[in-house]
Amino acid sequence: MNASNPYPGDYSAFRESVREFLAAGLTPELARAGERTTSVFSDFEAGRQWQSILHAKGWGAPEWPLEHGGTGWDIQQRYIFLEECRLANAPNPVMMGVQMLGPMLMHFGTETQKSAYLPGIISGDDVWCQGYSEPGSGSDLASLKTTADRDGDEYVVNGTKIWTSMAHYANWIFCLVRTDKSVKPQAGISFLLIDMATPGITVTPFSSLDGEIEQCQVFFEDARVPVSNLLGEENQGWTVAKYLLEFERGGQHFTIDLKKQLRKLRRLIGSEANAAAEDPTFVYRIAETEIDVMALEQTELRIKGTVAAGEHPGALSSLVKVSGTELGQQCAELLIEAAGQGAMPWQSEVLSPEYEGPTAAPEECVTTMAEYINSRSTTIYGGTAEIQRGIIAKHVLGL
Amino acid sequence: MTEDQTLLHDASDRYLRDSYDFNARRERIALGVYTDPQHWRAFAEMGWLALPVPENFDGLGLGTRECAILAELCGQYLITEPLIDVLAAVSTLIAPSPHAERWLGQVVGGELITVAAIDEGAGQRSKSPSTKLTQVDSGWRLTGTKQWINAGPSATHFIVLATVEEGLAWVICPRDAAGVDCEDFPTHDGRGGTNCAFNTAIEENQILLSGAPAQSALDAYRELAMILSSAETLGAAHAALDTTVEYTKQRVQFGQPLSSFQALQHRMANMLIQIELTRSLVYAACDAADGDTPDQSRFARAAKVKASSVGRKVSQEAIQLHGGIATTDEYIVGHFFKRITALDSWVCSRGEALKEFMALSG
Repeated sequence: MNASNPYPGDYSAFRESVREFLAAGLTPELARAGERTTSVFSDFEAGRQWQSILHAKGWGAPEWPLEHGGTGWDIQQRYIFLEECRLANAPNPVMMGVQMLGPMLMHFGTETQKSAYLPGIISGDDVWCQGYSEPGSGSDLASLKTTADRDGDEYVVNGTKIWTSMAHYANWIFCLVRTDKSVKPQAGISFLLIDMATPGITVTPFSSLDGEIEQCQVFFEDARVPVSNLLGEENQGWTVAKYLLEFERGGQHFTIDLKKQLRKLRRLIGSEANAAAEDPTFVYRIAETEIDVMALEQTELRIKGTVAAGEHPGALSSLVKVSGTELGQQCAELLIEAAGQGAMPWQSEVLSPEYEGPTAAPEECVTTMAEYINSRSTTIYGGTAEIQRGIIAKHVLGL
Repeated sequence: MTEDQTLLHDASDRYLRDSYDFNARRERIALGVYTDPQHWRAFAEMGWLALPVPENFDGLGLGTRECAILAELCGQYLITEPLIDVLAAVSTLIAPSPHAERWLGQVVGGELITVAAIDEGAGQRSKSPSTKLTQVDSGWRLTGTKQWINAGPSATHFIVLATVEEGLAWVICPRDAAGVDCEDFPTHDGRGGTNCAFNTAIEENQILLSGAPAQSALDAYRELAMILSSAETLGAAHAALDTTVEYTKQRVQFGQPLSSFQALQHRMANMLIQIELTRSLVYAACDAADGDTPDQSRFARAAKVKASSVGRKVSQEAIQLHGGIATTDEYIVGHFFKRITALDSWVCSRGEALKEFMALSG
């Protein structure tokens, strides 16, 4: 392995070192933020604080290459790290920079771009959001209409992006924009890195079904962006984006969170006089779900083996995305059923890591509803379940 | 798969692709011939029957994973010979017996075909069989009735689960012995079945196991049967999907191939997703069994539950996506459907496996 990989091959010692770090670095407040996470995003400030703690330890971007501040861990160690963080209830830092833009920058960026942006991503000082979807362009992303017209050394950007998660906290956005309208849709798209402080950009947050604000619409009105902020070549944005979409799909570990949901479920029905626990059909459904989670876990391990052997998992990633998100929804459904009417109180303040006041039902019950509501979006973002099935039909079955 | 496992798979696959013809199978079944002696001899010659036999008995000493490779192929090629039945019996009922030497050679050589006889009717499975093995002046006597012995007509010998004074016993008994009264019947999966009444004399060396070892052998047999039936279901389900994909590419309606319709594409994608998830779990169950890990019993049951559910759904979908042709006996896909259905209740049903899984999960 290499110098910064302290335990090559010795996974139990590695796991122990991660646990020690978590025991020392994860404050009760941060762990509470992790525990009260009911979507892919934790409390923003907690996530940001955690990212800077990780960065100080040298673990800000475990998957990155060493030269850019990565860890040099192998795939198993990265998995152990993720698993221990989740089990200890570490909050999730906003991931668009480290997990999505970072790999793109390293792959397509100039040296100047890499040194300009990578350090801010890994430290968490810069918060990036993703400007892909538009009101008229969801699954059919290539139809996007936001334009960037060249004017000297600048692009003039006009249009709007939606589902820009965390844009209200972000100081940067990476965007797909149309730079050529005369060619077929995919061929006229470019990838731009845009400072959110640029005049002409406004952000309108809107609340999700659970009342929380994570999503935004971003408007561009004659926003001027230096040409040097182009990632990759002009009109090559689709290639850059495809790489990114694959990255978003691949390497996901749904099982860690699914097992966490199942443990919560067991706790809920294990508490006294739980009506669901008395229902044999409910108990059977839990067992069947557990078996489905085992099957997914083994599939994730298969993919890990493929990746470790240097092969591309291909459409298996789509399979895991469909199955992982649908199982997450199934677990969330079981959780609200186990909580019963205890899931009904709508107390948004309970989701804040600072809140220590009373709850109208046990906290574990109250948080199940937000988790259930938010689980519906998991089969929509990052390539809908239908898009994923289309990929499987085309690339695996040859239909 | 390891290199050796790939070799085993490829060689076995080649033999079955070249020699196991679906139409010949249909004609033979219609005549009541469920085991083709030539095929069985070939299975023996290729070493399939020796796969799980320990090396000190001249076997290959291979594990569950290798047996599952063959089981998957059995599903894919709709083998009517009782291969998984014999593999499970050899590995868990004969090999551990003090009389193993007396029987193994002939089983591995293909002269004897040994199939376990457990069921005694609905809801009377394994716990306390009413079939009895009793000591008499001249030796031992086996009395009672076994029902629905899958592949019974192919067997030369039954390995009968009986109650004996110290608990359970496994008794090997030729089906043509005096006092063994068999009634064969055809079955929907093309293997045939047997109801059999026993009132027959038993020699000491026919009592393979009794007491506690017989109980552990029953547990081991059931667990291996769960895994192998899951693997066979997996092979059949995947073959049903492949058949469906090929058919929908060729069948033209409304001026275009069926495969161009998204509603059908997504259903086939679902079939693949579920098959691959099942594959992961079945292989994991094999590895858990071969690694003798503490969770092997849980994994075997999880694999059985998953394979049964997925097999049922996939084989039903395969028929629906084909349309009318799949409902005819000449067409292959309905036979995957029927074999998968038979496997669901073989030795341990999906429901039993689920209940046992829950008990093991605490």
